[in-house]
Amino acid sequence: MQPENFYYDNKIVRNFGIATIVWGIIGMTVGLLVAIQMYAPGANLHNQFTTFGRIRPLHTNAVIFAFVGNAIFMGVYYSLQRLLKARMFSDALSKIHFWGWQLIIVSAVITLPLGLTTSHEYAELEWPIDIAITIIWVVFGINMFGTIFKRRERHLYVAIWFYIATFVTIAVLHIVNSVELPVGAFKSYMVYAGVQDALVQWWYGHNAVAFFLTTPYLGMMYYFLPKMANRPVYSYKLSILHFWALIFIYIWAGPHHLLYTSLPGWAQSLGVAFSIMLIAPSWGGMINGLLTLRGAWDKVRDDVNLKFMVVALTAYGMATFEGPMLSLKQINGIAHFSDWIVAHVHVGALGWNGFLTFAILYWIIPRIYKTELFSKKLASFHFWAGTLGIIFYAVPMYWAGFTQSLMLKEFNPDGMLKYPNFLESTLQILPMHMMRSVGGAIYLLGVIVMGYNLYRTMRQGSLVANEGAQAMPLEPAHTLAKESTFHRTLERRPIQLMVLALITILVGSVIELMPTMTISSNVPTIASVKPYTPLELQGRDIYIREGCSNCHSQTIRPFRSETERYGEYSKAGEFVYDHPFLWGSKRTGPDLARIGGKYGNAWHYNHMMDPRLMSPGSIMPEYSWLLTQKLDTTTTIAKINGMRKLGVPYAAGYENIANQDLDKQAKEIAANLYADKIEVKSDKEIVAIIAYLQRLGTDIKANKTATK
Amino acid sequence: MFKQFTENINSHQIYLLTSLGIFFVFFVVVAVMLIRIRKQHIEHMQGLPLQDTIDPKPLNHA
Repeated sequence: MQPENFYYDNKIVRNFGIATIVWGIIGMTVGLLVAIQMYAPGANLHNQFTTFGRIRPLHTNAVIFAFVGNAIFMGVYYSLQRLLKARMFSDALSKIHFWGWQLIIVSAVITLPLGLTTSHEYAELEWPIDIAITIIWVVFGINMFGTIFKRRERHLYVAIWFYIATFVTIAVLHIVNSVELPVGAFKSYMVYAGVQDALVQWWYGHNAVAFFLTTPYLGMMYYFLPKMANRPVYSYKLSILHFWALIFIYIWAGPHHLLYTSLPGWAQSLGVAFSIMLIAPSWGGMINGLLTLRGAWDKVRDDVNLKFMVVALTAYGMATFEGPMLSLKQINGIAHFSDWIVAHVHVGALGWNGFLTFAILYWIIPRIYKTELFSKKLASFHFWAGTLGIIFYAVPMYWAGFTQSLMLKEFNPDGMLKYPNFLESTLQILPMHMMRSVGGAIYLLGVIVMGYNLYRTMRQGSLVANEGAQAMPLEPAHTLAKESTFHRTLERRPIQLMVLALITILVGSVIELMPTMTISSNVPTIASVKPYTPLELQGRDIYIREGCSNCHSQTIRPFRSETERYGEYSKAGEFVYDHPFLWGSKRTGPDLARIGGKYGNAWHYNHMMDPRLMSPGSIMPEYSWLLTQKLDTTTTIAKINGMRKLGVPYAAGYENIANQDLDKQAKEIAANLYADKIEVKSDKEIVAIIAYLQRLGTDIKANKTATK
Repeated sequence: MFKQFTENINSHQIYLLTSLGIFFVFFVVVAVMLIRIRKQHIEHMQGLPLQDTIDPKPLNHA
């Protein structure tokens, strides 16, 4: 047999590389802006399109799907071709994948500031974009499997299994968490409600971390680290164990995001148990990476790529030890809803994803441009700026998390809350938030320096768009001897490998999701809980549009410190009409589950106009546009119809009179405001949001009055 | 603090034990599979990232 000549496609790798750098800088800059807004609310630029609730999702989406997403495709397109000794299956599909993904990102940059959001964290994009993501993901899959089918290497290296698991699991997660009923061009309601919606969302959210931020990066680690250290991975057997154990266990751990909520207790316990087990495969992977450097540690001193790699693996180890600890209920009781979680996430994001991406960029760009890195000094500067940036970011956030949580839980000797006003705890941690933004700025500076360094590197070299290579073609499969073991057979059968990976992740998913979805006793109903009135429903959609749930939770945990502060703990039956659920995951401000009736309408009006009028020192942005913008009632019919389709018991034909009810309730609120000398027309958005806020948590109070 | 954890766990024990069981079986299956893999194969597999067969005269269609 004659060896075959072929060419690797480096241009697509370069394109994804540039996109990684550009979106990285944009996403992190938005991150810095939202960090500053946490202590200087005026930094929202007095503009609804740049206010925290709308651009915090822009930051998370940009860094996860634009920065990390493009980095994944860069790493996969580079390593897949070389591990399979084949060019990508189709140049056209590569191009469609690249431009399609950038278009999706641009659509996110436009729609999120406009307030078009599903409110599901890390899945905020509305239904038309969800469909586009699905199509582009399938294009990526066809291109990847097409390349695998025309490969010149019989067995698939472990990195490729991680890529395959990433592809198939993200597809499942995205589809299940995007089952929504469109009620407008960019507006939809989640099919699931309340507890069920929460479970699906955090099954998704946790596994987006697992299969978007972890498995593809582990695959890249298994390819690029041996390349950089110029020695094989420490233990290939450990990498196999790592792979199967990781994908099997990770999928179960989602409920640890919902501890002490009204999610059934058994699901919470299951999530905790598997979270603890996760330490084993995660640390197996980290150790395998670090030990790959055995005998090469002297290189770490001089080689900036390896420096980034070592810190990336260390950050991975720290975050994956901390994660299981945070899932222990007692620790979670303190950490959840606090800045501790923000610190935890950023150790993983800045350390693991960020640093591994930088290492790969510094490694790939000079190689595909056939040149040396422009400046090793600048790269070294980037390394130290990044490392210090992470420390200055994480340490103040840990400190802030502990401080605030402990303050909120503290009682005085008389058995009363020591800090009854939530704001006191907020003011206490402002210095930590300021320092965090300094840490973030240092990290961002490093990334900008990297951008300049790599730009100069590209300028001094020239891109080898098509890199020549030579390899023997595969012998036809029927001529091969039978493999000696099952796993060896599996390593040459991509489809079977994908199916087995799919089954592995479906086991945990099905066991965990199905009972809560199908057994009604898991969600006990409460007779006094009624559907929202049309005005409240419209107000709820404004709450979603403004991203209020980014800072305010709507679920009270059964702790004395919380029931004293917020009222009775939340029950599953209270959320049965909540499409989507709005429990939130962070309390920058107080919980709102029982805010209804706590203050008068006038208080809410003034508070929205300028929060500092009612709560001096508050860091909440002003929502003055709600006072002037007219509520769009043309959508009411579609919304009522949509909700009815999802099982909310609005009477037949109610949609036709819904706006009359809406007007009536709005006029009552406007009249009530007028009594407090506030003149406002009843058709303004502020009236709807007041109606919604005043409704929150009141159903269960009605129940009490009735049973007394 | 673990006292509270063990006290509250009674009604959910079955889920914890079942999940531990599933994990254990899964772990053993993968371990057996690993032990049966031959050394030459492992060496071949772990060498894959390091064997680049680059043509010394690359074509440039940039």
